[in-house]
Amino acid sequence: MAQATKAQNCHETGTLTEITNEKPVIALIGMPNSGKTTLFNSLTGSNFKTSNYPGATVEYSTGNLAGKYDFESGVLDSPGIVSLNPSSPDEEIAIDGLFNHPRFGLPNVVIITADSTQISRQLFLVKQVIDSGFKTIIALTMNDLLGRKGLEIDSEKLSEVLGIPVVKINSKKGTGLRELIEESKKIILLYNIEHLSSKIYKPSHPTEEAIAKLYDFTEETEQKVLIHNDKQVSIDVINKKVFRTLQRKPDENSMKLDKFFLHPFWGIIIFIISMGIIFTSIFWIAQPLMDLVDSAFSSLSSAVSNFLPGNTWYSDLITNGVINGFGSVMVFVPQIVILFILLGLLEDTGYLARAAMLIDRPLTKFGLNGRSFIPMLSGYACAIPAIMAARTISNRYERFLTIMIIPLMSCSARLPVYALLLAFLVPPSTPWIAGIGLGALYLFSLISGAVVAGIISKFKKTDEKSTFMLELPPYRTPVFRHIFKNTYYKSAVYVKQAGPTIIIISLLLWALTYFPNTSPQIETGSSNVTEQQINRIIESERLNTSYAATIGKYVFEPVLKPLGWDWRVGVSLISAFAAREVFVSAMAITFNITEDSDNSDNLQKSILTSMRNAKSTDGTQPLFTTASTIALIIYFMFAMQCLSTVAVARKETGSWKIPLMQIVVYTFMAYILAFITYNGLNLLGIR
Amino acid sequence: MNSKSVADLNIGESAVITSVGDDCIDVHCHCLRLMELGFTPGQEVTVVAKSPFKNPLAISVRGTIIALRKGEAECIKINSNGSGD
Repeated sequence: MAQATKAQNCHETGTLTEITNEKPVIALIGMPNSGKTTLFNSLTGSNFKTSNYPGATVEYSTGNLAGKYDFESGVLDSPGIVSLNPSSPDEEIAIDGLFNHPRFGLPNVVIITADSTQISRQLFLVKQVIDSGFKTIIALTMNDLLGRKGLEIDSEKLSEVLGIPVVKINSKKGTGLRELIEESKKIILLYNIEHLSSKIYKPSHPTEEAIAKLYDFTEETEQKVLIHNDKQVSIDVINKKVFRTLQRKPDENSMKLDKFFLHPFWGIIIFIISMGIIFTSIFWIAQPLMDLVDSAFSSLSSAVSNFLPGNTWYSDLITNGVINGFGSVMVFVPQIVILFILLGLLEDTGYLARAAMLIDRPLTKFGLNGRSFIPMLSGYACAIPAIMAARTISNRYERFLTIMIIPLMSCSARLPVYALLLAFLVPPSTPWIAGIGLGALYLFSLISGAVVAGIISKFKKTDEKSTFMLELPPYRTPVFRHIFKNTYYKSAVYVKQAGPTIIIISLLLWALTYFPNTSPQIETGSSNVTEQQINRIIESERLNTSYAATIGKYVFEPVLKPLGWDWRVGVSLISAFAAREVFVSAMAITFNITEDSDNSDNLQKSILTSMRNAKSTDGTQPLFTTASTIALIIYFMFAMQCLSTVAVARKETGSWKIPLMQIVVYTFMAYILAFITYNGLNLLGIR
Repeated sequence: MNSKSVADLNIGESAVITSVGDDCIDVHCHCLRLMELGFTPGQEVTVVAKSPFKNPLAISVRGTIIALRKGEAECIKINSNGSGD
């Protein structure tokens, strides 16, 4: 039951192109790195990528056969699997989808991609699928790589042994694809799917004997079909021993490169340098782009407001609610895009799997797994794709622990908040101190994640055995087209998943700050007031009498006072539940209006001015001191301030337990630590 | 019965698998998975690389390289005359 729901959910988010029920369905399956996703791209022309890192296809992806094949059929892609016996959630998704897809039912044809350079391994899955009763076609990939070893596969012979069609393909050059579709067409026209379905059954868990027997068969087959491609070579030359060692040797270049990249010393140095490059590029490349998006939306907002009648609730809704809401969604896109391009590069070259291997041992100390590395790294862009990426972790407990700590990773939404608060703390003459501070915050978020994971794993023991079995794909030159497509897809997932929540909460916040006193009456006795000043007083009065202010003053102020904050900070914190970055624009709304500030400056400078002018509730002390601002930073490091993350964590773990724990534990931690920071600093005399 | 395993091999050394999971305490350990991945008796394996602390190890089998933890590699028993050819 739970499995069915899981599959359905995945399907909902993974669907790019809808396939109608009447159309036949071709399912693509294959072992990780067997060229399955490249084939999917070539068949459908859809926006997907080939993955070098096992488990990159974390969602189903569906598409229709490209028009040039002149045949109407849906195509279904799924995560790579090793056998029909799943060992991780992503494999479960793939296998469940094959046998009982929530929407498409059974596929008419199954195309299995098989890497011809490791045919004895790849035929294992092929044989299992054939034995399950599916109408199957083999698409042999990597034939050129095998050719470089001086070998080739006799596809006719293989077809004869297995009793199914075998087609050699090269997805990048497009060879063999038409033939593959022709074979699929024949099967689809020949067999009725209802008739087939009675013959298909899911195999039970295999025994050691069954696996050994299956491998005996694949080895036997390998001996029959693997031949020298040089026809001149006489049988005598094909020394049995040489032939045997040649056929099962991994890619020579990869073995050479691994001596360096997986070197006990140099491997670690390379790892640290590559991570360093990733994080510095997030800062130095993304920040100006984020500023650009930010200012683009502010100028759009002011341009639109010129066209709308002033002082009506709907003009305010459009400029302050809708446009700013969209702006807060789009402002993270540059950072997410840059991180995913870099991750994609590492993935496509084959390095990411090695990085996971290098970091496995240290991560196990905190109850995590080498496979937690990629989700954690993605968490620095956005927790949403990061939590979804945790599906490749087979151990349930480690997977949940990884999901648990992902919100602590310093996601891109925190960057604008930190940038603002650090700018407040650091004098403008020494901006490099802010840079160091930001680096320290990033490092600290990693440490706090590790500490939390370590503490949880101390208290909660599990019987489930932890494993780390990861195929290291051959090193390849990355294909930029694929990386960009994949980055586009992942960024789109972010916009689709997080976007609506952020916009809805932005609108809600707008309503709370705008109503009920939509046109406050003010006294304009003196004639020296300009229209601009009148507007500001109106806005200020409206906010001061708004629902948000009422809630803020009576609910938040008592709670936040021990941390040195007032109701306006409280309202900004609540709005940050849409996305942490909304804190900045909410501060702009709550402070710019209530405090005197110069609107001609840019957003950050005007907020900073308002922050410096802001007084505490009794009006005697400045509200933002070094202590209360540092406490705010500490709060943001821990607080679970993102409803989209809560929603995704609920979906991915299948219950409310983890998301509720995240909300309660992290918010409590954030509050306590901010309290300690504020009062501790005050005791030390730092105000 | 010798108990030499893949974990005992040095980088670059090869050996032939004799059994998988014979001494494993847990019946439902991941030995079946190891076999599914291609580590079956009779196969030749080579240790390609080792992480710092010698864990995990990168092992070549059936034309691919698979990273395994030391504990998993210890489930894969080999013949005692493993050589560095």
